Amino acid sequence: MEGRKKLSFFAAPGLRAKIALVALVLLVIPLVGYSYVKSVERLLRDNQQRQIVATARAVATALQDRPRLLELRASAPATENPPRAVKAATEEVQLLLAGLARSGLRIWVVDSKLNLVAVAGSLDTLPPASADEYTFGVLERLVHRALRPVFERVLRVPAAPAEEFIPNDVVFGGREVERALDGSPAWRLRPAPADRGVIFSAAHPIWVGPTVVGVVVVEEDTDAIVWLRNRAFEQLVAVTLIAFTAAALVLLLFASRLSWRLRRLRDEAENAIDSQGRVQALVAGGHARDEIGDLSRSFSTVLGRLAQYNSYLEKLAGRLTHELRTPIAVVRSSLDNLRLQSPSPETAVYVARAEDGINRLETILTRMAEATRLEQTVRSGERERFEARIVLAGCVEGYRAAYPARRFDLALTDQPVMLRGAPDLFAQLLDKLAANAADFAAGDSPIQISLARATSEAVLRFVNTGPALPAEMGGKLFESMVSVRKERAGGAPHLGLGLYIVRLIAEFHGGRVSATNRPDNSGVVFELRFPVAA
Amino acid sequence: MRRRIAIVEDDPVIRANYADVLKKSGYEVAAYGDRGEALAALRLRLPDLALLDIGLGDEVDGGFTLCRELRTLSATLPIIFLTARDGEFDTVSGLRMGADDYVTKSVSLPHLLARVSALFRRADLAREPAVAENLLERGPLKVDINRFVVAWRGSDVDLTLTEFWLVHALAKFPGHVKNRDQLMAEAHVVVDDSTITSHVKRIRRKFGAVDPQFDAIDTVYGMGYRWKAEKS
Repeated sequence: MEGRKKLSFFAAPGLRAKIALVALVLLVIPLVGYSYVKSVERLLRDNQQRQIVATARAVATALQDRPRLLELRASAPATENPPRAVKAATEEVQLLLAGLARSGLRIWVVDSKLNLVAVAGSLDTLPPASADEYTFGVLERLVHRALRPVFERVLRVPAAPAEEFIPNDVVFGGREVERALDGSPAWRLRPAPADRGVIFSAAHPIWVGPTVVGVVVVEEDTDAIVWLRNRAFEQLVAVTLIAFTAAALVLLLFASRLSWRLRRLRDEAENAIDSQGRVQALVAGGHARDEIGDLSRSFSTVLGRLAQYNSYLEKLAGRLTHELRTPIAVVRSSLDNLRLQSPSPETAVYVARAEDGINRLETILTRMAEATRLEQTVRSGERERFEARIVLAGCVEGYRAAYPARRFDLALTDQPVMLRGAPDLFAQLLDKLAANAADFAAGDSPIQISLARATSEAVLRFVNTGPALPAEMGGKLFESMVSVRKERAGGAPHLGLGLYIVRLIAEFHGGRVSATNRPDNSGVVFELRFPVAA
Repeated sequence: MRRRIAIVEDDPVIRANYADVLKKSGYEVAAYGDRGEALAALRLRLPDLALLDIGLGDEVDGGFTLCRELRTLSATLPIIFLTARDGEFDTVSGLRMGADDYVTKSVSLPHLLARVSALFRRADLAREPAVAENLLERGPLKVDINRFVVAWRGSDVDLTLTEFWLVHALAKFPGHVKNRDQLMAEAHVVVDDSTITSHVKRIRRKFGAVDPQFDAIDTVYGMGYRWKAEKS
């Protein structure tokens, strides 16, 4: 289990990070939107200009062929007190212009001598800003407010040109006015004073017959469109941002759920086979109808087969014992019969050898039967409270007698170690561990046995010097019929059931077993942890 | 008169081998291969002792059934179960059927003969009064070595042959620890350690049924068992 890489959001691009990256595609939307806004702006500008040109033409048309209005002026000498007729004409022009002009739109008329006849409207007010209309309500307003500093930096803020009077250079030097005086309508864009935007002005000649008697100039501040454009663009950014955030959030949630399910499945699949080789069923996503559920189910199927195979292996010992017992009984009873016939000395030798063989075979069977019987005992499971220290002390005393060639060092805790289980079985477990340690211990090094108390656990350790465990055997050691022993001719048979029995009994007591090499590989540590009975 | 032993065993070779050795030991042997045949013959004439296999042909529990049927015919007929099965469950159910002993087929023929003759001895002496010199008394425990009968505080404890031998081995030298190998030798069995453990457990239970305070058998962990010496 160690060395398993935990996928984190940052370390490696997990599912969530990838999906979040995909959501970045949404950020293209503002770019597309920007070019769209640009083209709309162009359209509006064209429209505005055409309108202004049209207005100029309309005014000029309204004034043309009315010689009284301007011709009188033109012919009249410039005096301090203009005649009443002139005054009336000016007022009429003024009236006409006032009807057309509005805030932001200025119309003025000059005569052929470039005298200003009438002015209406002004350029110094902005179009009414409908600033507080937000399509997405509060949310958009919040985003908008948050982004305002950015917008102000990036976009030009429209301002009123604040041109109170018509500058002289516009009247006398304006190209459009000159061209209109020459008889053709013209327009131009001119910068507003103090770099406050651009003013569009259109001029149209006023005809009386074949002569130009004056010029109508219509001016409008183009910032109204800039303002509109800014507004549209800001809205676009804000809305995109909101949509992106919402989409990313939804995707993230979805990805989180996916990766959570996958991770749960992985964890379960990893833990489905515990270190002792038992298989547990998967539950994660077992009922889901999507691909993950499918994966989980097929995992479950595979694991199920593995479990069947495992239980087949575990039952193998029991079945073998049973099946072999009858043929062995045949051989043994035949041999017994043979011996009872008092055979000749030569025959007796072979009978003795055959008996030796059958005895060995029987030892194997007895061992195998022991494991099977234990499985049954453990299943029926009657438990009592007992003091593990007493059992351990007694057993170690017994081992000193049983293995005179070995030294046993025993370290017992001072605290009571009460376990729930069966003292007989516990003693059997100790027997197996002791036999194992005695078989493997090298030279006359002592076998160290200790029983200690951890917070709510009892820790039993058997430590012996000797050959280390092969790395790949660590977890399998406690399975049925697994052994790391090298075959030894003539020795007692080793079936790899001893440590399996240890595991069965340890589990019966609610404990866990593990076998590790000593840090310097000079031997093996068997560690068993049991919950302490209250 | 020669004693008659019935063997019911489905394996012909084992049946013949057992029959041979028993015949050689001076018994009359009637061997049967299945339950129906055996029951029909035994109804006509009861044997003096029956050796039963549990699995008989297709009948997985044929021996158990036969044992029950024989018990209805005779309450005292000694019955030994002889089987390839040695599971705890089978042992317990076999003994509950009223068998006098339960041995696995791995038992050697001399061990089997010892059992057979012991059971005959028990049957013969059951009706005779106890003879003082064959009585082993350990406080409240009385062991009649000839009749294979054990009494605790005056009441008989119903033990199988194997259990009797175990109790006898323990009580012979109170206070001495007998390890499992010694106990196996005394009980004429070759079994694994945990079988001895379950035998002892059953013995304790049987004594416990007579006297709930019974605790005369000590487990000496790592060594074996010991009959507690009387304190008096």
